[in-house]
Amino acid sequence: MTRLFGTNGIRGVVNQDMNGELALDIGKAWGTYLKQTIPTPKCAIGTDARLSNHLLKSAITAGFLSTGCDVEDIGLVPTPTLQYTVKKKQLDAGVIITASHNPPQFNGIKGVADDGTELSKDVEEAIEQIYFSQQYALTDWRSVGTFSTWNGAIDLYSKGILSTVDTNRIKKCRFSIVLDCGNGVGSLVAPLILKKLGCRITELNCKPDGTFPGRHSEPIPENLTELMQTVPEVGASLGVGLDGDADRAIFIDEKGTYIWGDKSLSLVGKYITREKRGGLTVTPVTTSTCFEDVIRQNKGSVVYTKVGSPIVARAMIEKHAVFGGEENGGLIFPEFQYCRDSAMSLVKILEILAKEQKSLSELIAEIPSYEMLKTKIVCPNEKKERVMTQVTEQMKQSKDVLTIDRTDGVKLYMKDGWVLMRPSGTEPIFRVYVESKEKQRTGQLAKFYKNLVESLIEHT
Amino acid sequence: MCPIMNHTISKQIFRAYDIRGLYNKDISPDVFYKIGLAAGTYVKQTMKGTQIVVGSDIRQSSPPLVYAFIAGVTATGVHIQHTGTTSFGQTLFTGGKLHADLIAFVTASHLPPEWNGIKFYYGDGVGFPEDNLMAIRDLVLGDTFNFASWSMIGQVKSVDARIDYKNFFTSHFTFKKKLKVALDCGGGSMTLSAPEIFTAVGLQVIPVYCDPDPTFSKRPSDPKPKNLTVLVDAVKNNSCDFGVAFDGDGDRAVIVDNTGQILSADQTGILLGKYGLKKNKGTIIVNVECSKSIKEQLEPLGFRIKQIQVGHTFLTLEAKQEHALLGIESSGHLILPEYFLFDDAIVVPLKIAEIIEQEKKPFHDLVTIIPTYPTHKEEIECPDEIKFDVIHRLTQQIVKEFEQVNTMDGVRVDFKDGWVLIRASNTSPIIRLTTEADTDTILQELTTKFMTKTHEIIQDMKTTA
Repeated sequence: MTRLFGTNGIRGVVNQDMNGELALDIGKAWGTYLKQTIPTPKCAIGTDARLSNHLLKSAITAGFLSTGCDVEDIGLVPTPTLQYTVKKKQLDAGVIITASHNPPQFNGIKGVADDGTELSKDVEEAIEQIYFSQQYALTDWRSVGTFSTWNGAIDLYSKGILSTVDTNRIKKCRFSIVLDCGNGVGSLVAPLILKKLGCRITELNCKPDGTFPGRHSEPIPENLTELMQTVPEVGASLGVGLDGDADRAIFIDEKGTYIWGDKSLSLVGKYITREKRGGLTVTPVTTSTCFEDVIRQNKGSVVYTKVGSPIVARAMIEKHAVFGGEENGGLIFPEFQYCRDSAMSLVKILEILAKEQKSLSELIAEIPSYEMLKTKIVCPNEKKERVMTQVTEQMKQSKDVLTIDRTDGVKLYMKDGWVLMRPSGTEPIFRVYVESKEKQRTGQLAKFYKNLVESLIEHT
Repeated sequence: MCPIMNHTISKQIFRAYDIRGLYNKDISPDVFYKIGLAAGTYVKQTMKGTQIVVGSDIRQSSPPLVYAFIAGVTATGVHIQHTGTTSFGQTLFTGGKLHADLIAFVTASHLPPEWNGIKFYYGDGVGFPEDNLMAIRDLVLGDTFNFASWSMIGQVKSVDARIDYKNFFTSHFTFKKKLKVALDCGGGSMTLSAPEIFTAVGLQVIPVYCDPDPTFSKRPSDPKPKNLTVLVDAVKNNSCDFGVAFDGDGDRAVIVDNTGQILSADQTGILLGKYGLKKNKGTIIVNVECSKSIKEQLEPLGFRIKQIQVGHTFLTLEAKQEHALLGIESSGHLILPEYFLFDDAIVVPLKIAEIIEQEKKPFHDLVTIIPTYPTHKEEIECPDEIKFDVIHRLTQQIVKEFEQVNTMDGVRVDFKDGWVLIRASNTSPIIRLTTEADTDTILQELTTKFMTKTHEIIQDMKTTA
């Protein structure tokens, strides 16, 4: 079946593949789905700061209303704020209009279930099926949904965030922080929370602007150079860079060094499992082994899932995990909510700094280090499955390979490292991840498997 | 649950002055998304404009339609200022204040609740003419829209339409005497403004259907005499100075005097002209359907009466061009350009209250001295294909036969003791014949004579066709 939903909702270029007609129909399809089990569903809708947010919000709202769903507009909010609102106000669904870190010409629709987590694949497929069949349950004029607005979401969310950490302890530290919101919707929440925590803030790009004039909204090193420079310049304790819809946070240590998402994930995981004396954690197969190392030190365990934050979140719910997240700065705190949440990551890191009385660079230095290499190999879509089967068969013979894992693509565990080949869902490529303790060994492994896969593709 | 809507859009929803249809049958969010795209394209390309002010009446189907419309407009790069759920006047007033290029109001006026639609005005209050509405229709039917690139997408701002509007009336009307008014909003959009404003200017309100009732379960939204029995009783039982009833969206008001007598729009217009205008030099616009008593009553006072074709868009446009003091449509649209060019019905009862206070007489005494003449309205069935040709043939004949003939809208013949108007309906397969005369006998004669003429031509054209 043709898919609408990708790993993170439905995305596209505005007025091209992401247009008002599509949004209207998604609203009708989703509303039809909700009406199957709920007499009068109530949905919250929010947007990031993109220029096309009103267009898509209005269209999807019209769709929901026409099926008899009530819509509550909560305005410009970070994605986790919307998710928290849905859960706290016991609504039946949430819609966030965002294209996260994508360039400004993009926009998208992300769905949230009644528990505040992103929609499961099953629900997405049910909505897609209605969309493609166009069997919408449109109500007559008497029963169209009602529309209302609510401007309390950010307050509700900020209070919720602050209730999860030892605020007095953080306040005493008088942290100095450089905050780069990338002109995203995080600008509406992060400064507010940091002020309440007594922090001194240096703001970069902290005004919501859908043209993203300050930097690209993906918080990768090349987009955070200004932040990295500013942190040591102003003598801040740390820097933090958010993505466009503020579900992911990337940290910069006091020296101005970029901290990869694996490391911040591990630092928080370490702290939580130590406090809880163990516990189960969840992360996708792409995460560095440093995470498993720190969790095991604290007698915790790690469950690996397919890539995708909704999958991680759902596994965490099922397995009663104490913590989880991705290697891209998306951390999930079950005591607050089952979704990636940059504000939670930020306050948690501050709490760790406050309690440990160490600098961020010192704390990161305590996390084991691995050498990871990411590359891609071109492969026609129709060959992907067969190539993966062949790799699996061949590697069963290899004495180097200890375990073969098929959670997502093929992951081969060696004594001193691992290799993961994942077929991309959208492009004709394999993404290849290689990790070991030594840079040289990582390079060797990468070369060997790249050659192997390329020859298999050629002969398939 | 309704079946899936047919995606072909019916041409019939585009009428001379507005767009109307049955919700989920003729109109839907899909259709309104396209109307939004067309309105945006029109504003951007033809008007070189940048913003539309939009609001909607209290009909239950308005929210999905208005949001779909907004999505369409913003997709073309035109900005929206959204007034929300309001009376007609609140959105029109706000659109004027914000210098909108176009004002759009989602409403089906006085039609039953399963209907909805949209009508357009220019920012200065002039109605959107038929030709331009047909240009929008052609954009919709031809799927020819001008989409904006991502960086030019239209933005949406919510605006309050209540406060400034109310202040406008409190600064223009103050009553020393506490007049008692029976106010019948019919559960329509006027519930959102009239009770508050009437009270604010110092009137004592006896409310009749003043709570929002979007299904019009208590009173049909058309304020026809037969729907106003409760209002009439309220006026009598509470010894009110007068009463007023509005239609569903608030562009028509019907006045009831202190004895419970329901006034026609022509009578109300005459009273406004005779007692309500500050100076008695200037133009009053009436349409060809209006009673001859308007001219008889108001011309001797010094006013110039200009007759125009039927339709509130012409009324507003003429009023603007002629700097008119008053405009009267016999269908009930009355305009007082001293306040607004557009037909916000709330000004009518406020002006009537001012007149009653100023004249210091029971209202009925003013009403009763205006003569009324017997009138008659007839609907003659005639196929759509020939109705305009019938009028054309009839006109040729009449012009030869009679002296005082007016052909600006159908054909009207004036006699010293009466007149007749014969027009083809714009929307139905009907020819309308209206007569007015000094006596019932003359009325009967005129009606019969011209009915026969019309029937003869229809018969003749049917056989030759």
